[in-house]
Amino acid sequence: MSLIQRNEELTSLERVGLTLQRKEVDRIPAIPLVCGASYRVLGTRYDKWSQDAEIATQSLLAAQELIGQDAFLLLVDLSVEAADFGQKLVFPKYSTAFPDFNNQYIQTSNEYEKIKKVNPRETKRMKQVIDIIKGLSKEKGNEVAIMGFIYGPLGVLSQIRGHKDLFVDLIKHPEEVLAAVDVITDVLVEYAIAQVEAGAHAVCVDPLYSSGTILRNTTWEKFEGPYLKRITDAIRTAGAGVAIHNCGDGVYFEEVIKWANPVAISVAYPAHGSKNWEEHAKNWGDKVITIGCSDPANTGLVFTADEVLEDCKNQIELFKKHNAGFILSTGCEFPLNGNLLNAAAMVEASRRYGRSNN
Amino acid sequence: MSINKEELYKKLAESIVDMDEDLTIEISKQVIAEGLDAYDAIVNGLTVGMNQAGKLFDEEEYFVPELLICSDAMYAGLNILKPHIKVGENVTKRKAVIGVIEGDTHDIGKNLVKIMLETGGYDIIDLGRDVLPSTFVEKAKAEKAEFIVISTLMTTTMEGMNEVIEILVEENIRDDYKVLIGGGPISQGYADKIGADGYAENAAEAVKLANRLVVAYGNEIE
Repeated sequence: MSLIQRNEELTSLERVGLTLQRKEVDRIPAIPLVCGASYRVLGTRYDKWSQDAEIATQSLLAAQELIGQDAFLLLVDLSVEAADFGQKLVFPKYSTAFPDFNNQYIQTSNEYEKIKKVNPRETKRMKQVIDIIKGLSKEKGNEVAIMGFIYGPLGVLSQIRGHKDLFVDLIKHPEEVLAAVDVITDVLVEYAIAQVEAGAHAVCVDPLYSSGTILRNTTWEKFEGPYLKRITDAIRTAGAGVAIHNCGDGVYFEEVIKWANPVAISVAYPAHGSKNWEEHAKNWGDKVITIGCSDPANTGLVFTADEVLEDCKNQIELFKKHNAGFILSTGCEFPLNGNLLNAAAMVEASRRYGRSNN
Repeated sequence: MSINKEELYKKLAESIVDMDEDLTIEISKQVIAEGLDAYDAIVNGLTVGMNQAGKLFDEEEYFVPELLICSDAMYAGLNILKPHIKVGENVTKRKAVIGVIEGDTHDIGKNLVKIMLETGGYDIIDLGRDVLPSTFVEKAKAEKAEFIVISTLMTTTMEGMNEVIEILVEENIRDDYKVLIGGGPISQGYADKIGADGYAENAAEAVKLANRLVVAYGNEIE
């Protein structure tokens, strides 16, 4: 029994599920991406949160109880998969883990063959995420949507090789890169299936470099498009929905939809080719559901609760005006030390302004 | 046969745009062998080429990989030409320390800003990635820099930018530096909140911002 949350017509799971099917709901779902920030609710440390499935599970449950968001997102950090392929990580006490860039697992373009298949159900970090999903599913799987999370294969490789060196290798050593992406994809397919089997209702894949600020669209398609398709096809075959997250500027919606066919895309900026959110809603609102688009820094660190309410109200009205599919959310992870009351304000905004009869 | 200087610098610029590092090295060596002015070659060859690459990046003709390979070529040429710059010819430039804040290793954006500021005439001290807030301040003091340029891609690490400014305030040296911030999750609102002097959306804007601050506060920050 919740001491805080109010009874509503639909459960969060029903609300998210119906929204993704574009059916009528009591109010639009609100999913501030409170992932790592949940560690503060139980008063633990971030490095413990990100390395202990039980601590993470209890923290996420407590944060959801407090905030009332309609879904869990299983973003622990962007190094989860890379670590299990052999990349050494640094675990700061109060921030996200990251690769030890002085000790990249692949140091030269001749070393891509070092990438070998692993079993995500038996590795350390990917298994932890699977276990968190199991824990959340057991406690709240019938009430709150659970969205797994997988970093795209090119992103995983960039954590192992180093971003700069990988980008150079895309041009100078494409075959070696593609061979490594292929192996990583095989593992991510298994990881995706394991997340669904553990109880994820949907899995969110992050092809971070499908963005106009990083790669040419054709370059991204060559190096990640078909591989993303393999992963997202596996998610659907396993019985879950496919979502995409990309907080980069100018995400290639057309190409991402072509390869992943997601029901929803979580973004921080309007799609490539759309000058603003109005254009974005007009161009893409009937093709895919947008999950966004609050600025996470403003929401967590700058705005007052009243300003969050106003900001969310404006977004809800804009997407509604264009009859565009929309889930209210932060465009990227809620800041670790952001004001959690502002995350709750986002949920409150959906109650106040996101009702279908508003 | 006398060498056509302008033609050579044009080829040097083209080698950057064409991402042909070997040719950049070859022409840079030729500049030295012919006894041409190294500083002249940097300004009229390497910098021109890098500016053209930056323009192509702005126009979405080039993307991050292409720009990185262009910059590798530029630095390869710079390594050959720089030791031959004549004393007194190396004009004093405005100095900036730049880095990615503690906890974050995403340095592509920082590197692009560094390249653009360098080609824009700034002297850049690159502190790398995962840089402690205190290190930004220590290095800025040690290098007598005018700008502190901080980048992060993650919401989880952005508060470190605020710490840099807090240290400057605590040490009563806030007005000695202009603090510029940028990166995926950063906004003008966040810059205003922490009291940064400026926020830039991308590398090209960072140069314009720095130039604007030089014009606005030039005398104060000298």
